This record gives sequence, structure tokens and C-alpha cells, in this order.
Amino acid sequence: MNRIDPLETFRIQPSQKISIQYGRKSYEGVAGDTIAGLLYGNGIRVFSRSLKYHRPRGLYSLDGECSNTMMRVDGMPNVRTENTPARNGMKVTAQNVAGKTADTDPMAFMDKLGFAMPAGFYYRTLHKPAKMWPVAIKKIRKAAGLGVMDPDFRIEGYFDEIYPTADVCVVGGGPAGMTAALAAAAPGLRVILMENRPWLGGVFDYRPAAYEGDLPLYQRAAHLARKIEETPNIRVFTHTAVVGNYNDNLVTAFQRGNETDPFDERYIEIRARSIVVATGCIERPLLFENNDRPGVMQVGCAHRLARTWGLLPGRQAVFSIGDDLGLEAAADLSDLGLEIACVADTRMDGQDETLIDALSRRNIPVYRGWIAYKAHGAKQVKKVTIGPLAGVQRQDIECDLLVASAGLTPLTGLLSTRQVELLFDRHTGFFLPAGLPDGIHTAGRMLGFQDSVKIEISGQLAGMEAAADCGFNAPGEIDSIKVRINAFPGPALGSKIVSAPVKGKKTFICFDEDTTLKNIDQAMADGFDVPELIKRYTSAGTGPGQGGIPGHNLPLYVAQTQQSPDQAPRSTTVRAPLIPTLMATYAGTQHDMCKRTALHDSQVASGGKMERVGVWTRARRFAEDTKALAEIKNVRHNVGMLDASTLGKFRIHGPDALKALQRVYVSDMDKIVDGRVKYSAMCNEDGCIIDDGVVLKQGENDYYFTTSTGRAGQTVEWIRYHTRYDHWDFNIVNLTDACGVINLAGPNARKVLEKVTTADVSNEAFPFVGWRDLTLADCIPARTMRLGFVGELSYEFHVPASYTQTLWNILEAAGKELGIQNFGLEAQNGLRLEKGHLIIGSESEQRTTLHDVGLGFLWDRKPDANTVGAVALTQTEHQKDRLKLVGIKMADASAAAPKDGSAIVDTKFQGYICTARFSEALNEPIGMALVKDALAEPGTELNIYEDSCNGQLLKAIVAKMPFYDSDGSRMKM
Amino acid sequence: MKFKKKRLWGDTPTMKTAYDAVIIGGGLHGLATAYFLSRHHGMQNIAVIEKRYIGFGGAGRNTAIVRANQRTQENLPLYQEALDLWPVLTRELNFNLMFYNCGNLNLAHSEAAIKAMRMNVSAAQFSGVDIRLVDRKECKELIPALDISDKPRYPICGGMFHPAGGILRHDAVVWGLAKGAAKNGVHIFQGTEATGIDVENGRVAAVDTSRGKIRTPRVLNSAGGYSADISYRLLGIKLPISVLTIQAMVTQPLKPLLHHVISSGAYHVYANQTLKGEIATGAHMDPWPNYTTQTTGHYIKHQAEALTEFLPCLKGVKFMRHWAGLADMTPDMAPIMDGNAPVDGYYMDCGWGYFGFKSCAVTGKYMAEFMATGECPDILKPFTLKRFEEHRLMGETAALVQYSADN
Repeated sequence: MNRIDPLETFRIQPSQKISIQYGRKSYEGVAGDTIAGLLYGNGIRVFSRSLKYHRPRGLYSLDGECSNTMMRVDGMPNVRTENTPARNGMKVTAQNVAGKTADTDPMAFMDKLGFAMPAGFYYRTLHKPAKMWPVAIKKIRKAAGLGVMDPDFRIEGYFDEIYPTADVCVVGGGPAGMTAALAAAAPGLRVILMENRPWLGGVFDYRPAAYEGDLPLYQRAAHLARKIEETPNIRVFTHTAVVGNYNDNLVTAFQRGNETDPFDERYIEIRARSIVVATGCIERPLLFENNDRPGVMQVGCAHRLARTWGLLPGRQAVFSIGDDLGLEAAADLSDLGLEIACVADTRMDGQDETLIDALSRRNIPVYRGWIAYKAHGAKQVKKVTIGPLAGVQRQDIECDLLVASAGLTPLTGLLSTRQVELLFDRHTGFFLPAGLPDGIHTAGRMLGFQDSVKIEISGQLAGMEAAADCGFNAPGEIDSIKVRINAFPGPALGSKIVSAPVKGKKTFICFDEDTTLKNIDQAMADGFDVPELIKRYTSAGTGPGQGGIPGHNLPLYVAQTQQSPDQAPRSTTVRAPLIPTLMATYAGTQHDMCKRTALHDSQVASGGKMERVGVWTRARRFAEDTKALAEIKNVRHNVGMLDASTLGKFRIHGPDALKALQRVYVSDMDKIVDGRVKYSAMCNEDGCIIDDGVVLKQGENDYYFTTSTGRAGQTVEWIRYHTRYDHWDFNIVNLTDACGVINLAGPNARKVLEKVTTADVSNEAFPFVGWRDLTLADCIPARTMRLGFVGELSYEFHVPASYTQTLWNILEAAGKELGIQNFGLEAQNGLRLEKGHLIIGSESEQRTTLHDVGLGFLWDRKPDANTVGAVALTQTEHQKDRLKLVGIKMADASAAAPKDGSAIVDTKFQGYICTARFSEALNEPIGMALVKDALAEPGTELNIYEDSCNGQLLKAIVAKMPFYDSDGSRMKM
Repeated sequence: MKFKKKRLWGDTPTMKTAYDAVIIGGGLHGLATAYFLSRHHGMQNIAVIEKRYIGFGGAGRNTAIVRANQRTQENLPLYQEALDLWPVLTRELNFNLMFYNCGNLNLAHSEAAIKAMRMNVSAAQFSGVDIRLVDRKECKELIPALDISDKPRYPICGGMFHPAGGILRHDAVVWGLAKGAAKNGVHIFQGTEATGIDVENGRVAAVDTSRGKIRTPRVLNSAGGYSADISYRLLGIKLPISVLTIQAMVTQPLKPLLHHVISSGAYHVYANQTLKGEIATGAHMDPWPNYTTQTTGHYIKHQAEALTEFLPCLKGVKFMRHWAGLADMTPDMAPIMDGNAPVDGYYMDCGWGYFGFKSCAVTGKYMAEFMATGECPDILKPFTLKRFEEHRLMGETAALVQYSADN
């Protein structure tokens, strides 16, 4: 490999050799090379095949503007090899090609068929005859897409996420970004500076042109970078792509780690008080016939290859450019050994004459008002036709490199994602922000500035304005900087030329999607006039390059071609992530945010089969038997213990606490009896049941209540919302996580309790639905309620979360000789089903009212409470044709229980099975169902349609509930 | 004139002072209704007015999934017919809508989810919809990239496979319907805003637009996310609709990886691979009402976390674009299709939430019949606005939903 002699601008370590594998061969490079650079240095020119026409594509840009150099690297598709560092031993293959390299492609004939695929081709064809379309789909799917993803692929590496805080976030580590960071840091603010390339310096980094006097730009950049490093309150993230800018200055980015970093990539999220966007420019592609040929590359690409990596991009070159950076690069590359035949400049005038002189000193002719018309050669440029934009003169020049660029394009994506309006500026030809939201500032080249000092000062100004956002206002200084900026000449007149005047059949406005200028013409002829719609119709700019190639040219071209040329170009929408971001990076460490009860570990140790229930992890059962029959039996005959800590638990207190409860509960909470709990429900405005639980009065204006597990999160909000206009004086405390709950249930429950308390817990002293504050085992305060969800004598202990495990252990020890055992959710489900107790969400759906589930009796019709849902409860009380909750048994008692969710039908759908289980106590299947009221009378025969039953209906009979212990004597014993 | 070829939906027409019907909203539902009115009911003197450009709203922001795995018997036949319409429309419009009948797989991650799916499946099978429950192994056979181990926090227990569903190219549907309507003489006015509706003696008399007044006896509100706003601002009719932002995103294009649409309720994600190879994926809505179409940073992060839990290979795939649209949610997740009440000649086709894409063609067909005859077709009758007054929610969703600010 030929490297030019070391330069001060190098970012490689020439002595450190590395090698990567591409196809079957191994290629050598040096540390610091990018993958594409390394291959380029080894003579590889074709890196991929294009999406539709399988045209050879080469190294064109260096910042990931297009998919040309996207390759598969170590199994990962679509890696942008032009800015991905090469690492020793990497395995690289080409994409969208039959073989492993892109050099030859049996599908290359597609290029000849371009004429047959005009814009909108797919919409107009392939659907006739209809039979052919499924065949065409298969072909299209196979042909489309770039990389291959193996379904068994597992990404390697560590993907971190960090959330640093900053006062000012500066995006772009070029000269403007660096001066902005320094200015913002001056008053001591915390500044974060983020740069996409692996080093700071931006457009100064590689250029030997003079900054001031003899100081070259790259030395100035190094000087600024050193100052940044020496400033302790500036945190620098290099190799960091800023991908999003959201409301209230939320900036998201990702950083690629180098070999010594503990992460491979990390997600960075910053909420900044102020943002400086100094993202600079990329190049606007120049269009001509075969403008996509390998060997055609942008000015910055050619220049940086040589200056940063020591790779001379070709032997003989032609330049076709529209900006002074092209002239400067030509002179410098010529000095580095590139033979340059000529420079065609689309501009008639306005060039920096010192650059023209520099070129003439090197005997490089500059043709003003000239442009490349066509690149010749198949897999590599061999010859270029150039000529004047106006005129018929043409000249063919042999070359292996065509450096082509129409001008510059500001990177305004971070403004677009904040929905900043971008207006076309006729002088620069840029889309520039019409106004900025508070807390965002812009600086540098993206505003059209070219003078190096002016770029830096604009950064300084933006940094000071950002500091002002954070309270460090220096109006005098800001004004004097503004004066200094205005003393510089304004932005240079930008070239608006998009394309040489060619027919456009092989003139690609978008590389990723193989969209030609001709396709754009066709779209306009089809009636698409808005660039955004043309983009959708032709796909231009929707590929992996995210519009980096056509983003600026498309609106310019459309405006220039349309009949009303005075209409200003309208830009297309740019969206986050501005740089494609791995899902692995976004997913980061994939935190699992579930909640565990205080008893979690002991539940697991007892063999609990844990599963996620909403935000919680809970034990469904403690044995392999999915029906948990042994657990059910033990509760019915001995005593069981359930971890019920997930119940919603709240304290509400204050002078107006009762009013608030009256507002949300259907029952009259004024009737709560001391020492007794009250079971009640909450409804929404439609009278639909949303929650049930118990309420008790623990003191004057002081209540404690429980909600279902799933409802706990919303309860405070619900009560606050429905009392929002009342200005009532009450407080709600969510005790859900602060307290654990143990449910002790079964005929032996009292015997267990008696062993751990000296209090009188006889049925007389502590009856059913009573509650007492007990001290258990002389040390644990336990609010104890006698409830009966599972239908047996049972006590519910509410204790501070930290005591829950201790109490559990005490009860377990006390109950050992009484047959105490764990039971889980499945057993609870079967037990409560036998009692006909409903679980909201299981036996009710969104549209189910309090009346529908048979709990209408809870509604106390409180006249002045304005209870949520009261109006609807009145209106729906006697409404017909509703689904009602009923109990069912099977017509054949020896049949299996129908599957949950099965439909109940006659000629129409009439309802469905909510829950059905084999009842241990009744020795037959029982269930609950929601059925139309016409079928709800006990004794009615129901037809059950199970899924995939092929019309074989099961017979069930509506049965009275509860199924078990109908007078409730077992709960009350 | 440089271009001679005929434009897809004709040249911009000159606005007349009167039309037989004015349709507010140049999205899928408005264009479909205009198309069916003009093709099947002989009503060709129709204006479609669109504030931005056709397909600007939900029409161009959805993930283009179609399916008929609805929950209730009122909805099932409508969506089933919708599925059957795509090939018919492709032929009629002579425009390839790119219907890819790949089928939809919904994952269940708990016993409760299986139960909920069985209710859907039983009801749908009873209505004749092609759908079945599948176990976790069959899920893996359908989507080999799935992780069916116990590793994900919500392990896959099984699923519901609906072979009749699939995807289309959403833009093609917009353009095809516009082309078809324009061919039958419908006038489409882009960049034209409805600013008022004149009512005389309880009847619609005219629509005020930013380009002048149009006299008409019929107006359809099919303005998608903006329909509730238009209804209230122009007629004072308050609809029980909350507007929420819903976000979606696509990855870089890949060779075929997902052969079916896949969705997961527990993870709040759905994904499909477009014919172009991109994986389009979306999820639940922002948890508060708003009219912005702004995306959020946490949303795309959540999407990556969720999707890669059960499709771990996607960790090596890159997100490329992220956008947002509006979902006009009713309390029961079923739409409002109604007309002539409370104002004669005022028709509503709104509250579609995120079901607007798959339903557009069939709704257009029946709303056209409704508007042409003045009689509500039986299939639309359950979708009346009055059901909310009577507290008869439709049950399209089982779970409680709250779209208002109290949640």
C-alpha cells in the first residue's frame, strides 16, 4: 500500500499494522484506518452494488451520507465502513451482491433495464393479472433490502447508557463548536461538547490553509482542542453522533467506544438548559451522467483521504466543483502528488483569486462556468467529459479520479427535529432557520460563514448567548461581538447549480434508492409537485443515508424545474435519529423495572413459579400442577398463606377526606362502622366498574383503603382529578410499597393467629369484616382485617414492608403443625371462583357496569355526593341487551371445564366464558361468564363455542352463585 | 408546458360555487368516500377539501397493517369485508396498492393474554374470519427470529395467527383513491381549509373554505385527528374524542427477515417488514392528549428495548426514521360513523384512533351509501354517536382505557 510521507495532519499510526478480511482475501492497513479507507488503500474501488440497478458504487463521502460503503462487518449488516474504524481481524463482505465482494455481480444487467422502471413503476404495474402479484411480491422482497440479518444473530459487546447533566450542550466539535464551548464555560457553567468524528477540529482539522499569518488551520484546531481539554468544566464526547433534539432541549446521542473503552457503544441523553448547534456543512453532490461511478468522490473525501490517512485518492484527477474548498483542495492535493488535469468550476466568478493564482502557479487550468457532463468507465472512472454549462463545447479527459461537488449543505437536522421552520436563502442557497426556539443557538459554517475567524467568533457569540440562557448575561460583551461579526464580509454567494444539463437517465439524485433526475421529472409529470411527496413517490432520500445525498438537491431541482420558478424551494422533512442508530444502543442495558414484594425471595425459595403481573412479579403456584389443586385443598381443609403485598394501599386524611371518598366510591362512606371494614367499588363516568376494595376509618377524618393491584398506580390521580374543582382539604398517601400484606386463610387460621397474639381473636371479639390493630409476637404491629375473598375464615395482615418477612416466618412456624402451606394466584383464582367473587378485568371488561356484575347493591344513591358514575348508574340500571355476569356449570358434570375466553353463541355471539375451572369442592367444572341478559336467568342453557371447535358446541347451564358455602358460614366461623 | 403526460389526479380544478357533497379531509377515508360516491352512486359533483396535501395526516403516518382480528361482532364483518376489498380496489383503480397478504401474528405473554386472545379468536372464527391460536413453537416457526425461551421478561406463551391480514403501501392507497376519484370527476382541492359550516333550518347549507363558500346539502367530516376539532369549532358538536400522539419508526432496509406482521400487547409493540425491506414498527400512544406530531426520545428508546427482548437479532439493526401522527380515540376504541343527527346533511366518519388505515376502503363504501341514500346501512348502525350517551360502549377493547387527563 502506498502512503504518502507522514504529515502533521495524520490521524494514523503508520507503524502499527492491522489486517482485515474482505471476501476471501486479507488486506493490510494501519491503526487509525477506517474500514473503507483501508480497502481503498489496497486498491478496492467497488464497495457495494446499488439497490435497484446493481450499479457498482464506490467511496464517495466520508461522513456516512450514503449507502455506497455500507458493508456487512462481523455478521452485522449495513455498517458504514467509511467512518467505522478498522480493527484487526474484522471480517467484511459486500452487500446486495451474489458473491462476497462487490466487484462482479450477476445482477448487473439490471442497469440496462432502468428505462423500464420509471418513477411509480410498482404502482402502475405487476398487479395485472392479479395472479402474478404474489409471484412478483416474492421477487420484490428478495431484490429489496440491503443487508442480510441472520435470525439467530446475537450482537456482542456492552451497550451502556449515561445521563450526564449539563448547562450548555454544544453539538459539533469544529472551530465554532469549540469556541462556543469555551465561551459558555468561561463563567463556570457545565458544558458538554459532542463531536461525531473521533477527534475535534471539524473543517479546520485537516487543512493546511492559513488561519492567521502563517498559522495553518490544523494547528489552530489543535490549539483550540488543547484549550478545551484544559478547561475542567467542559466534558468532551468525541466519536459521538447526536441523533435527536427534543422538546425542552432533550438531546440524545450515542458514542462509539474505542478499543480501550469499557463499552462498545453508549446511549447519551442530556437535558440541557441551552444548546449550541454548530454542526457545519456537508457537501452538496454535483449531478451529471454516471455521477455515481466509483472514482467520483466529494472534495472533502479526496482531501481528507490524503491529509488524514495518507492515501492519495488517485493518480490523475479532474475536479468539477462549485465552492472555494474545491480550489483549495486541488492546490493542496497537487502538492501532495496528485496529478490534476483541470478544475471545472460551475461559478463564472466570485472565486477567491488567491486560490486561482495558486492553481495557475501549479499549471492547473481552471475553467469558470464549466461542469462535468459525464463520467465514463464501468467499475471505475476512466474518462470525464467536461464542458461549459452554457455552450456546446465538450472535452474528454482521461483520469481515474473525478472530484465533484456542487457546493455546501448546512446540517440543520437538529433544528428540523424541533420543528424549526427552514426558509430558502437565495444568497447562500441554503435552507436556514427562520427563527429559533428559546434555548437554542446556531454558529459557524452552517450559517454560510466562510471566513475562519468569523466562524470562530460566531461560535463565541453563540456560547455567550447560551451562557446568558443560564443566567450569565453579559450584554455589553455580546453586543461588541456582534459588531465584530458584522465587520466581516457576509456569506459568499452560493452556487445553486444541481446538475449538468443532461437528460438524466443515469444521473443519480439519490444513490441509496437509485433515483435518477429522470425519475424526478416523471414524478412531477404524474402530478407530484411538493418535494415531500416526490420523495415518497420516488423514494429519493428515504434510504439509509437519510437524505444526505438528495436532501438539498431535490427541493432545489424541483423548484428550478417547475413552471413557477419564483416559488421558493421547500425543504423535505428530516427526522430523528439523524444518524441511523443501533437498536442495541437505544436498548442500552435494558433495565428491568419490575417491582418485587418484600416476600419475593422466600416465595422463590418455596418453589414459587414466578411471573410478571402488571408491574409486579408474583408467584402463580408452588407445584407443577397448573391447576394448583393441592394448594386449593389445603386452604379449604387446613390453612394457607398468600403474599398479597401488591394490593393498592392508601391513607386518606384531612377535613374533606370523607367527601373525596364519597365522590369516588359508590357506597356511602358515612356509614362506616368503627372497627369494621366496608367493601365497595369505584366506577367511571359510564358506570363501569373500575376498582373494588375495602375502606376503614382509622381516626377522625382519617381513612385507610385498599384497591386492586392493577389500579394502585392510578388511584391518587383518579381521586385528585375528580375533586379538582372542589378545593377540598385532604391528603392521600400511597402506602402500596410501604406495606406488605399476608393473607392467612383456612379453617385453621384462627388457631395460627392465637399462637402469635395474646389479644382476643374469638369470633365474638373479632368478627367477620372486622379489623383490629394487633401486635403480633409481641413486636410486630399488624393491621388485621377479617375478609373472605377465598371463602374461608381468613385474616389479612397489613404490616410495614420491612416486617413482612419476619411475620411470614413467625406465622409459618406457628402454623407448621396445623398444615400451613403457601398458596399462589392460581389457587386464589380457583378458590374465589367457587365463591363467585369477581376479579376486575377478569370478570369484567371495559364496558361492564356495576349493575352488570351484580354489585348494584353497593350503590347507595347518595344525593349530594356527585359520585363519579352516578348518572350513568341511574340511566343503565334497567337497561336491556347488556352483558351480565353469571355463574355456569356444564350440562354434563363430567365434562372438562371450557377454556377461558370461549364464546357463547346462538345464531349470534351472546357472550363469553370469563373464567372456568374444575371445582375441587363441588367435584365438577364451574365458571363465570358474561352473557346477554336474555340468557342470564339461572337454568338457561348456553352453547359454548371454543376456538377451533369446528362447530362442536359445548352445553352449559346458568347456575346460581356462590357455588360454595352459599350462606358464607365458613367465612364467618 | 414541459410535461405532456396526464397527471394522476388531473390538473387542479377550478372551484365551483356549489357541489352535491363536500368532503372535509383529503385523507384515506375522505378520498375513499369520494371514490365510492362517484363510482357507485353516480354522484360526481363532489369536492374534497384538504388543508395540507392529500395523505398528509394519518394516511401517510401509519404502519399500513391490515387485519380483521377484531373483538366484537359489530366490528368483525366490517374489517373482514375491508380485507376482501383490497384486491377488488387494486383492479378497479388500476393502481397497485401492493397488498401483501402475509398474515399477522399476535404474541401472548401470559395465561391471561391467551384467554383474551381465545375470546377474540372464538368470536372471529364464529364470524368466519380466518384466525387461530398457535403455541409458542408455531410462533417460532412463523417468525424464526423470535426468542421463545424463558429469557425475555415476558416469555412468549403462544399467540394468535391471522393469515388473512397483511400490509399495503399506504401512500399507494392515497394516490390510487385520489386517481380513481378524480377520474370520475371529483374535484380535489389541496391547500384548502374548511373554516365554517352554514346550517339553515337544521340542514347543512354551505361550507366556508379558505378559497370561498361552497353551497352543498351534504358535508362529511373525515378529518382524522382533526375531526373532533372541526366538529366542535364549525358546528359546536362536541365528540367524545381524545386526540393523542402515536409514534412509529423504521429501520434500515434488510433482506426478508420477518415474514409476517408481528405484535405484542405486553411489550406494546408491533412490527412488519415492508416490501422495501425496512422494518416498520410502532407502539402505544403517548399517555396524554395532545395535537402535536412531535416525537419523543424516550419512545424510540422504549421501542428498541421492547422489540429486542423477543426479537434479539434486531439489536444489530439500525433505526432510521421516527415520526408521529394523531390518533382520535373514542372511549371504546370504535369509530363514530353517523349522519343526519343532530344536523341534517352532516355526516361524521371519525374517532378511528389507530384503526383508520385498515378500515378506509370499506368505510368509504358504506359512508358513500349512507350519504347517497340518506339511509344508514345496517353494518354502520352500531357505530352511532348515541351509544356514548346511552353508556353502551362497544367492547372493542377489553381493558379499561382512559385517554383523558385523569390517567
